[in-house]
Amino acid sequence: MGRDRSRREELAVQAVDPADGTLYELTLSYERIRSMALRGRGAILEGSRLVEYVLQHPAAIFEGLRRDADDPRYGAGWRCYCGTPPCAFSGNGDEINPPPGMVYLVFVNDEEVVYNWRWDRADSDNSRLPQDHGTRFRERLL
Amino acid sequence: MTSLPSTDFSDKFLDIAGEPVSFTPHSTYDKDGDCVEFLAKPDPFYGERIDDLVTVYRSQADNEIVGALIKGVKRFCEKVLTLYPGFGIEVQDGKVKVACLFRAKAWATPKADDKMLMITYRKLIEAAEAAEAEAGLCEIGA
Repeated sequence: MGRDRSRREELAVQAVDPADGTLYELTLSYERIRSMALRGRGAILEGSRLVEYVLQHPAAIFEGLRRDADDPRYGAGWRCYCGTPPCAFSGNGDEINPPPGMVYLVFVNDEEVVYNWRWDRADSDNSRLPQDHGTRFRERLL
Repeated sequence: MTSLPSTDFSDKFLDIAGEPVSFTPHSTYDKDGDCVEFLAKPDPFYGERIDDLVTVYRSQADNEIVGALIKGVKRFCEKVLTLYPGFGIEVQDGKVKVACLFRAKAWATPKADDKMLMITYRKLIEAAEAAEAEAGLCEIGA
C-alpha cells in the first residue's frame, strides 16, 4: 500500500507463524490502539488481552481475505487469525464469559500489521471457526 | 471463565490507548486495512458479513445495527469513479460521506433482489446520515 512506515509509532506483538508453529512479530499502529478509547473501557481491555491471546492460540489461520472476485491476486498475504478466548469484557470493562456462539477474529495485512479485531459469529457446524469460513477466505493455513 | 494474565503487550496497549472518552458516533479510514469503520453506538458488537466488502456490526445485546466496516474502500471508490465520474461530487476535501459509500455499494450489488440485504443497507444509510459520518480518503478523487 506504499506507506512510509519509518515514521509510524507501532507496538509489536508475537503471533504463531502457520508455516512452522514458531512465533513471529506483527505490529499494531498506535493510531489504531488510541482509537479504542472512543469505544470505551471494554473495547480497550479486549484489545489489550484478546488480540494477543488469539494470535498466539489460534484455532485456525486463514489467508486471502476475499474482496474482489475480478482480481484473483487481491487479498494474498492478508491473514485472519481465529480463536476462542476464555473471557470477554463488558462495555464498562467487567470481565465476563465470552459471548456464546462467537469466535474472535484478528486481521493482519500483507505488511504484517494487525489492523482490526472483533467478535464474529461462529460456524453452525464448528463453533471454533467463523461463519462462512469456507467461502470468505481463499486458503486455511492452520 | 478463565482470566487472561496481563503481559508486556497488554500493559503497553493500555498505556497507549489511554483512558476511555465519551462516545460519539464516528468513522475512520484505516490505511493499514484500506477500510472505513463506522460506529453509531458504543455497544459491544459482533461482525456479520453481508457481502464481500461490507461487514455489519450488530449489538451483542439486541442484534441491532451499531456500525459497519467497509473493506477495500480505496479500490471501490476508484472503480466507482471510473464508471461514474460524477461520484467525485461526493468527495470534498478528501472526505466522503459514509452514507454515500453505503449507497454506492448498494447500487452496485448484484444481489439487489435480496430484500434483507437491501433493508440492511437502508438501515446503514440511515444510521450514517443520522450520525453525519464522514471518512477522510485523501488519496481518492481529490
